[in-house]
Amino acid sequence: MKENQKNQLEASFGQSISVKDASLWYSDFQAIKSISIEIPEKKVTAFIGPSGCGKSTLLKCFNRMNDLVQGCKITGEFLIGDVDIYGKIDVNELRKNVGMVFQKPNPFPMSVYDNIAYGPRTFGIHKRSELDEIVEESLKQAAMWEELKDRLNKSALGLSGGQQQRLCIARALAVKPKILLMDEPTSALDPISTGKIEELCDELKKTATIVIVTHNMQQAARISDYTGFFLLGELVEYAETDEIFTSPKDERTEKYITGRFG
Amino acid sequence: MTSAKIKERLGRTLFAFGAAICIISVLAIFVFLIVKSAPAFNKIGIFDFIFGNKWAPQGSDTYESALKGSYGIFTMISGTAASTVGALLIGGVLGYFTAIFLVFYCPQKLKPIASTIINLLSGIPSVVYGFFGIAFLLPLLSKMAPNNGSGLLATSIILGVMILPTVVSLSKTALEAVPNQYYDGSVAIGASHTATVFKIMVPSARGGIIASLILGIGRALGETMAVVMVAGNSPTYPSGLFNSFRTMTANIVLEMGYAGQVQEGALIATGVVLLMFVLIINLMFNLISRKTVDGIVKRPKESKLKAKAFLFSQKIKEGAGSISYKIKSSKIGEAVAKASGIAVALILAMIIVFIFVKGLPTLVTKPQLIYGKFEFGSENITILPAIICTVLVVIISLLIAVPIGIMTAIFLNEYAKRESVFVRIVRGAINILSGVPSIVYGLFGMITFVKIFGGSASILSGSLTVSIMLLPTIVRSTEESLKGVSNSLREASLALGAGKLRTILKVALPSALPGILSAVILSIGRVISESAPLLYTMGSVIKAVPKGILEGGATLAVALYQLSGEGWYINEAYATAVVLIILVLGLNIFAEQVGKTLNRRLKGDANERKSKKSA
Repeated sequence: MKENQKNQLEASFGQSISVKDASLWYSDFQAIKSISIEIPEKKVTAFIGPSGCGKSTLLKCFNRMNDLVQGCKITGEFLIGDVDIYGKIDVNELRKNVGMVFQKPNPFPMSVYDNIAYGPRTFGIHKRSELDEIVEESLKQAAMWEELKDRLNKSALGLSGGQQQRLCIARALAVKPKILLMDEPTSALDPISTGKIEELCDELKKTATIVIVTHNMQQAARISDYTGFFLLGELVEYAETDEIFTSPKDERTEKYITGRFG
Repeated sequence: MTSAKIKERLGRTLFAFGAAICIISVLAIFVFLIVKSAPAFNKIGIFDFIFGNKWAPQGSDTYESALKGSYGIFTMISGTAASTVGALLIGGVLGYFTAIFLVFYCPQKLKPIASTIINLLSGIPSVVYGFFGIAFLLPLLSKMAPNNGSGLLATSIILGVMILPTVVSLSKTALEAVPNQYYDGSVAIGASHTATVFKIMVPSARGGIIASLILGIGRALGETMAVVMVAGNSPTYPSGLFNSFRTMTANIVLEMGYAGQVQEGALIATGVVLLMFVLIINLMFNLISRKTVDGIVKRPKESKLKAKAFLFSQKIKEGAGSISYKIKSSKIGEAVAKASGIAVALILAMIIVFIFVKGLPTLVTKPQLIYGKFEFGSENITILPAIICTVLVVIISLLIAVPIGIMTAIFLNEYAKRESVFVRIVRGAINILSGVPSIVYGLFGMITFVKIFGGSASILSGSLTVSIMLLPTIVRSTEESLKGVSNSLREASLALGAGKLRTILKVALPSALPGILSAVILSIGRVISESAPLLYTMGSVIKAVPKGILEGGATLAVALYQLSGEGWYINEAYATAVVLIILVLGLNIFAEQVGKTLNRRLKGDANERKSKKSA
């Protein structure tokens, strides 16, 4: 019975995101102003805009990380596949399906292996052989297996910043998310590490939907299929990336991408 | 899925339960002390009890019959007040200048050593201070005293040294928190280092320094064993430096063992009066330190700073008599600060060297003192039973206090909404628990646990009593450590779909482990040092090795009190003191090291170093 329920839930989390008329308040401050957006599956969608425009906040609505903020109020409809994620669902199950990579690398103070095995263990996988397989697979997906296979038992905190961030991506991949949210994942990294992560995005979109928040417009242009431009809590323009960068419809978008403000 | 939810809820309930125990403990202490002392207050009369100056209890007095004895504690309230003032004059002043020395005059290289020394001073058990008083200070004072040297002066000196660590470490923190711009601003005008220190830096830290003195007062008020050993203890006013007198704490310890009905009530009532004094002092401390913290957080505006510096420069330019006089007094301050720093180091060295010189030979020539078989009334006394009792109390009290303390801290830091009523009550309870004098814990344990477990003192009762005492330290340091765990780690765990319980147990708690572990080690030291709360809950007789935890027995610290009091076993007492000092100081140093090493390992440095070595 329990297994059944779980499977049903899992099956119904799709890979597309659909937001209708979403608003969000932190106490009295309205951070998101009735945004609607459709994010297609297995594509890279980038959110760009100046700081404080609500792009990260919207991202965190997709895995309900905003629930942790006291005084946060959300209205509107958020569907992942067909599932209303603010309806009667298990939040932990949602977060398993919608993974997240944060701005600053945040590996746990554990070994590389335990970092990656943390998620699977959370969901009841304890068999060593199974875990070994998942760890190897996740590290390969994150293109780090060759670098790390000999130091699986070393502390993850001994890795470089770029390695740590890719480890965090591998950790997120270990629970096989259908959607991966990335909140400015390269803002704390050097150009080489940034390049590696961008390559990774291209690879990962074969299996997962990726939503990435970035400050870096070149990055958005390089890696994303769709781009949304946010300003002061509103979604100003949302279209295919080529279109946004070559012929933006809104004057504000044009000003922003040509560097006249932001 | 549902089972996960049940687990979450169970966890939350369990943590809240820990927090509830803290509240229950405080309530129990108040309720029991008040209920048990009410008949005595009633029979004697509150006014006569507090302001009566004759204390001559009769063991045969009961609540039914007419009183034959007198029960007035004003001489003892005066004794407590006088010895506290004395302690403040010696320890407060010395501590104040030592803190200034440490922050502004101590050579950089010596600073860590000096801080360690101050920490060590706070680790020395109070019986050891008392014993040092008996063995070293009293003979010294007796040369200029009409009696054996006991009385207000000896008590003030010992108490003064005991409050030093409190005063120094808190004043030091306050001085270090003064913004550096103050210093730069003053020196840039041309004021000397010393003038800046005494005219700008010290006055800016005034609030914190006053708070440290108040906390020192709180400590002096509640101190028991060291005072009993050097005060003389006759229930009279402290009328001279060398006149025997008694404090409230001493009154309880001296007579609780054989008290009659009214007498026992009156002793518990003494505990209530003492507790009131301490609570008022702690309240003052909290008010003042809250104000200073705010003051430091809200740094004064630049303009205000400039105005201050300008006024100061004007004064220097004027060079008028009064100012140069003040600067001269700063020079004196500098000399006093340096002298204080050296004096404190000397005092610690003196205590340790004296006891080691006297005690080590006995340990070497009579090692059976530690492991010998106990024979009643024999010349060959052994402290083996005391060591075993100590180990048992340490284990049992930690088994109780550590889980409850950690649960409470988790509840406060991970679950509770800030500023909710329940949280405020829990914090209040922990504040109160940390201020309750150890002898009052002893009283509480005696009228509750001892009564519950068959009426005679036992290891179990002693452990329960001490475990309540340990709660505040464990809660606070665990909470501090949990606060130190970066929120990004919790987010990472939650974002992977882990529940709150798993996030706490697998991510937050392990990262907080170094802090928790050093708190646990310090708690071991605390249990080993304590004697006042154990004397009547666990027993004071050095007897054979206990057969179970429902039997009583003296711990090492209590044994030292007994051995030093009887005079027959003075060499054994020295040896016991050596063992105690080694244990406690060793644990203190160990705690510091464990904290550092684990922290380093957690941050991955140790691993790096290892891999470098192997490469």
